Order: sequence, then structure tokens, then C-alpha cells
Amino acid sequence: MSRRATACAAALTLAVGLAPHSARAHEILHEVERGRAVALRAYFTDGEPLAYAQAEVYSPADPKSPHWKGRTDRNGWLAFVPDVAGTWRVRVVDATGHGIDTGVEVALPAGLAGPAAPPDGGARSGGIATIGFVLRPVVGVALIAAVFGALYLYRRRRS
Amino acid sequence: MHVPDGFLSPQITVPAWGAAAPLWVWAVRRTFGASATEMLPAVGTLTALAFVVQSILIPVPGGTSAHLVGVAVLALVYGPLASFACESLVLLVQAVFFGAGGFTVLGVNALAMGLLGPGAAWLVHRALRRFSERAAAFAGAWVGLQISTLAISLVLGLQNRLSSHYLPVPFPVVATAMMLPSLTVVGVVEGLYTLFTLSLLRKAKLLAAP
Repeated sequence: MSRRATACAAALTLAVGLAPHSARAHEILHEVERGRAVALRAYFTDGEPLAYAQAEVYSPADPKSPHWKGRTDRNGWLAFVPDVAGTWRVRVVDATGHGIDTGVEVALPAGLAGPAAPPDGGARSGGIATIGFVLRPVVGVALIAAVFGALYLYRRRRS
Repeated sequence: MHVPDGFLSPQITVPAWGAAAPLWVWAVRRTFGASATEMLPAVGTLTALAFVVQSILIPVPGGTSAHLVGVAVLALVYGPLASFACESLVLLVQAVFFGAGGFTVLGVNALAMGLLGPGAAWLVHRALRRFSERAAAFAGAWVGLQISTLAISLVLGLQNRLSSHYLPVPFPVVATAMMLPSLTVVGVVEGLYTLFTLSLLRKAKLLAAP
């Protein structure tokens, strides 16, 4: 290599070395915080998880664009880190059309710009839907029997 | 198979309700009218059984589950309008009390699972029963389930084409995920369940001419 070329290479190397910010712009940094995410698990009535299902999370600040998109994990869990308080919308759907579209209440502690205290620990699909897998058919059968029983009695009285 | 609320747009749910509503009126009058009083206990029992079998989930490969419909027997014995009325009641109970399926999608679910599928089952049964009653019943139930599954997958595929915001899964994926288990496992179980309930009705001397 000629003296001139060597000098150019040395100058270039020095320039790159003295300008570290341009190199660092390509580095990826990270931080880990525990306890800030909101986790939701989707599962069938028999307890089987809705694994690897497509999921979207919408912020109350921007209901039109997904704040988070991804898939549930093998156990049906997804997690997101809310940055505003309010009702976050979570949609999960699998390839057969089974899914949920639900709201998750998030309250941020005062003074925290980012997500904060976990929401009501363990909130589930509400009301009567929390009845276990065994009780559901019993209640359903009772309701249907009541409808048909009332109809039968009504018809018998009229005839 | 139930489509939940929030995954079909009004472009689909409103016309479905529009188509289903007059059919509901007709079906309820025919099934629960004054002339049908004596068959109400049997119809009610079969409806309750359909609710139970729809609550039993059959795990299928791919991390999802499938379930029977269980109303083909109502169509074979009492006609497709009976299966439509009864399946609509089952779907309504599921939507209102258990959050399964949904109210806005009731028309779609009822038409697919209560009318199209069982209607196909009834037609196949009528066409084949001269050869063998049992084979015709099994074939009818199997075909009926495929029609119901295909109807739901077509609706989901249409929704994806209209707006993937409601349903991000494309039709080829939906169709494969739904039809494969239906063709192989669930359809066979549906056929066996139909044969089983028909034999119970026969033993109880409750079988009426369709």
C-alpha cells in the first residue's frame, strides 16, 4: 500500500474512533422492569389455552391503531405495558374464529408516566361466565328445561 | 364453531339478522305451535342435549378445540325448522348467560348451525334412507356438520376480505383449521351421536315421521 493510501486509512480510522455516536446509533439497548406489564390469558371453557392465537391490544388514547400486536404464548398468555390509564381493549382470535374481545381496566399510580400497579389481580370474564366447566351444562340444561316446561304447561292449559 | 361478538362487522351481521328474523317467526310457530304440544318434551330434551354436547370441547391439532352441534337429530325427526328454532334457543342461552358466541352474531350462528347444516342433513337423509336408515342418518349428520362448518368458515373468510380489522385471519387458514377436524373427527362423532339419540328415541317410541 502506498504512503498516501496508508495515511488516508489512518485518518479515516481516527475519524470513526473520534465520532463514537455515529457507531453507537446502531447499538440496541434494553431495560428490564418487573411488575409493570398487564397479563391476560385466553382459554377455552375446559381450560385448554388459546395458544399461539393472533392478538391485538388497543390503547384508550388511540382506539384505532393497535398499541401491541402479536400472538399468545403456548399457555394462552399475552402481556402489554400500558402507558395511560383507562380501559384497554384486547382482542384474541384463533384460526377457527374462536376468540375474545374484552376491555381491561388499567389504573396508573399517581406520578408514574409509564405503566404501574398491576390491575385488579386476576380479573376474569365476568359474571355467570366464571362458572366452572362442569356447572355450565347443568345451568344451561336447567334454563332450556324451564323454557320448554313452561311452554308445555301453557299449551296443555289452553288445550 | 361459534363466532363471538366483535369479529364480524355490521355488513355481515345485519343482513344475517334480517334473513334470520322472519325465519325465526316461522320456525317458532311451526315448532312450538298448538299442534306441537305433545312433542315438546322430546324436543326440549333433544335441545338440552344439544346444549350439553356443544359444551364438550374436542381438542384438535393446532392448539384449538372443536365441538359437536347436536341438532341434526332434530332436523331428521322434526324437520329443519325445528332444528333452527331449537339451535337458536341454545345459542341465545349461551350468548346471554355464558358469553359464548354473541348477540350481534346470533343470526350468522343460527343460520349456519341451526338451518343450513341440519337442512343439508335432512336432505341427505331423505335421499338415502331408502337404502339404509342408519347409514342415511349417519351420512346426513356428517354432511350437515360439514355444511355448518363450511358456512362459518366462508363467513369468516368474507369478513377478512371486507375488513381484516375485524378478523385478521385469511380464509385459507380459517378453512383449513376448521374443515380438517370437521371432516376427520368431529363429523364422525356427530354422526355417531345422531345414531345414538335416534336409537334412544326409537326405544322410547318417540320417533315421529319427519
